[in-house]
Amino acid sequence: MAETDGQNALESNTTSNGSDFKDPLISGLDHTEDGELESLSLDASGHSYTTVSRSSSLIANLSRYDDLGDDDTKDLFVLVDDPEKHTSTMESYVTFRISTKTTRSEFDDSEYHVRRRYNDFLWLRQRLEEGYPTHLVPPLPEKHSLRRLDRFSPEFLRVRQTALQKFLTRLADHPVLSFDKNFQVFLTAKAWEFNAHKKQGSGIISRMTDSIHNMSASYMMKNRSPEFTILYEYVQSFAEKLGVLDRIAQRVSKEQSDYLLEMCEWGPIYTLWSNSEDQLSNPLLAMSHAVDLSCQALQELVEATEDNFIQPIREYILYTDAIKAVLRKRDAIQMEYDTTIAELNKQKDNKEKVKISDQTYSIGAFLGKDPEDVKQHKQEKLEEQIENLTKQMEQLNDRTVIADTDLRVDMERWHKNMRKDMKELLMDTADRQVQYYEKCLKAWENAIRNIQGKEVSPEIQGQVDMDTKDSQESIQESSDKSSSS
Amino acid sequence: MADDEQADVPRYLPENSPGSPDEDPIENARRAGKKNLLQWMEISVAEPEKRTVTSLKVQDTYIVYLIETRITDNSIQSPGDGTTSLWRRYSEFELLRNYLDIMYPHVVVPPLPEKKASYIWQNAPTDKLDPEFVERRRAALEIFLLRCAAHPQLSQDRIFIGFLQKAEGWKDMVYGTEFQSKAESKLKALSASFRLKKSDRKFDELKNYSNEMESNINNLLKIRARMADKLYGIHKIHANYGRVYCEWAGIEKEMASPLQSAGHYMNVYSQSVDSQLEEEEQYADQLKEYMAFAESLRSVCKKFECLQYDLERAEENLSTKSSQKEMLAQGKTGTFSLSGMKSKLFGSDTPEQRAEKIKQLDEQIKQAEIEVERASQETQDYVDSALRDIDRFKRQKVKDLKEIFTNYAVMQIKQCKKGIAIWTSAKDCFQKM
Repeated sequence: MAETDGQNALESNTTSNGSDFKDPLISGLDHTEDGELESLSLDASGHSYTTVSRSSSLIANLSRYDDLGDDDTKDLFVLVDDPEKHTSTMESYVTFRISTKTTRSEFDDSEYHVRRRYNDFLWLRQRLEEGYPTHLVPPLPEKHSLRRLDRFSPEFLRVRQTALQKFLTRLADHPVLSFDKNFQVFLTAKAWEFNAHKKQGSGIISRMTDSIHNMSASYMMKNRSPEFTILYEYVQSFAEKLGVLDRIAQRVSKEQSDYLLEMCEWGPIYTLWSNSEDQLSNPLLAMSHAVDLSCQALQELVEATEDNFIQPIREYILYTDAIKAVLRKRDAIQMEYDTTIAELNKQKDNKEKVKISDQTYSIGAFLGKDPEDVKQHKQEKLEEQIENLTKQMEQLNDRTVIADTDLRVDMERWHKNMRKDMKELLMDTADRQVQYYEKCLKAWENAIRNIQGKEVSPEIQGQVDMDTKDSQESIQESSDKSSSS
Repeated sequence: MADDEQADVPRYLPENSPGSPDEDPIENARRAGKKNLLQWMEISVAEPEKRTVTSLKVQDTYIVYLIETRITDNSIQSPGDGTTSLWRRYSEFELLRNYLDIMYPHVVVPPLPEKKASYIWQNAPTDKLDPEFVERRRAALEIFLLRCAAHPQLSQDRIFIGFLQKAEGWKDMVYGTEFQSKAESKLKALSASFRLKKSDRKFDELKNYSNEMESNINNLLKIRARMADKLYGIHKIHANYGRVYCEWAGIEKEMASPLQSAGHYMNVYSQSVDSQLEEEEQYADQLKEYMAFAESLRSVCKKFECLQYDLERAEENLSTKSSQKEMLAQGKTGTFSLSGMKSKLFGSDTPEQRAEKIKQLDEQIKQAEIEVERASQETQDYVDSALRDIDRFKRQKVKDLKEIFTNYAVMQIKQCKKGIAIWTSAKDCFQKM
């Protein structure tokens, strides 16, 4: 079992280096020796389980992260949880526990637990992008959040964990990327093994020249198939809509925060007033209390919107960046193919020209060679070039076809997942608004009871009940009106 | 003490008053034991109308309000069909209130709506002819009349009744009472507030209370206006959501229809704020009325201070005269008094002269005693009736504010239910994506 392996590795690695600081990524988790380990607890989904109950709860959790619910052939499950802060003299950082469960034969075991930090994810994504230029690699959350400046705050870590979970789940569900060796190493390798593996491989430089090359290809593309032009335009529009959604959400948040500031000053005035009243003291305090509860509810709404709406939207915008990058690479591949064809045709033309040419005044003739020989020689050379170019062309044609197909298939899956993600996201947003109003509703109903004393007169109750019917009717009315306008 | 009518309030019969007391509905009502007007009459301030009057080549446009009354108790006999209607403008209301304020100093007189609107959200400058402003003013004027009509003393006042029913010549009637001469001078009121030797604890407390209530409501209104602005902004921005969802629907296939429907609901949400803020203005108006009541309370306190001031001055006068007599009787005159100077220069009084002076002083002392007695009685009567009316006001206030706060809570509940309905519908749309 992976766990006993892990335990053994722990024991054997306690003296990995002579320094006092034991980087857990090298030495594994060592709660007794490294006193600076802080375990940050989140809500139910992120609890640290004891060793005994780990497996069973892991299974229970993993089934919750099943994205492709209708795909029964899933054989690789990944779970991200349990953020932990590590402090050394040089730096502080957070690691997450990555738990894997699989039946694939490529894996030696069926279960793995490792710890990884954000930079490790960056490394993985970079490798995947380089290794599969024609495939869509899911995006990672941004390195820094502008809103949450404390990168160790529980809210920030919860948001990041969700994003990293999404990243790994999308990878695990990808029929090609999930079989990547780097991915496997990422999921399974112990700390030192992983570090060693990371040090191999291409650097950043090739990445950069790739993208510059790709961008120029896109600009010069003349005969891109309409399918991809349509796709490109869709991605542009989609990204734009998301950008607008992001900005609107931020504006709403700002107005709501301003509103909150005012409302938080309002409640205390009722309390102050109650000090100079006698019989009205309780009603005034009831008002104050209801206002305070509304403040609280709105505060929660604003924070939840940032985490559960704005962040995911931003991620999808990053996703569109990834799509555009793949589109550019595809264009570059097609560009190469087109240039090769052009070159091939040019040489074929040349060959025809040479056939009927008179080599009497060629350079070769000047040098004393027989014009016929020159002609022969030139024809042979062109023949060779044409052969090479033809071979090249066939290879590039294959590459183009593969690139197109890969992108097409990935886009289909992406679109399906996007629908699901957006549906969840928007339903969640609407739900939170409903919850907000329900909290406020309860607060004000309570207030009426306290203002009136114990008895709420039937007239008032009737008014409150009537309003329910009224509001539902008027919603229907106004929605009919606006749909007909 | 029974709710008594003011004995010294002049009774001016309206011009078209019935010939005999038997036909006068007011008399009939009093005989029937009605304590205030509202028990047998319905009063309403109905439609406003714009009037334009040109005088000296200058156009003056103003609003008049239709005041209607109707006798609701069939047992009260009256000539005609028991209804009246006439038009009044705001300045006439002001005149009425000034009259009531001066003639009933011990009453917490209901306030009029403000001359210029304040603490309205969106900080719009008020146009007195703006229909919303006119409508809110109309409602407030009606409340003013109803409060007066519910008051046991104010409702019996002939000028008040004339305001409701006497279409012609009411203004002359008011000025005819010469009520303005009964007003306390502002200077006296000021002196009174600074120079009282002994003030009544109850009135001091009342003054403090009214200041605090005014300040608290002031702050509530200020912040509420700012909150309303922000709430408006929040809702209106959601219209942008509506637009972007519809645009997004345009580039999708399966998601198009649900996104479009959701977009509609965003627009509905955006528009729902208008009616909410209108209703909240009512809450603001109700609070404004109570803020203005603070001034009425302070006015009652001021009048007490003036009476107390008069009383103290009368007492001072009495004690001065008494001590003067005292000194004269003992044959001493102060070295630095006028009489002291005189006696030094011209020789002291003869016994006959002294006796004469003492007799004069006795007269004056008797007058002063009567005056002190009168002022004391007046002050005491005032305190009694003022405290009674203040009590009535406080009871009314508790009832009113409980209702006002409850209505606000009901408003909020209504808004929450609307919000729940809209967002549930939106969620249903998203479900279909």
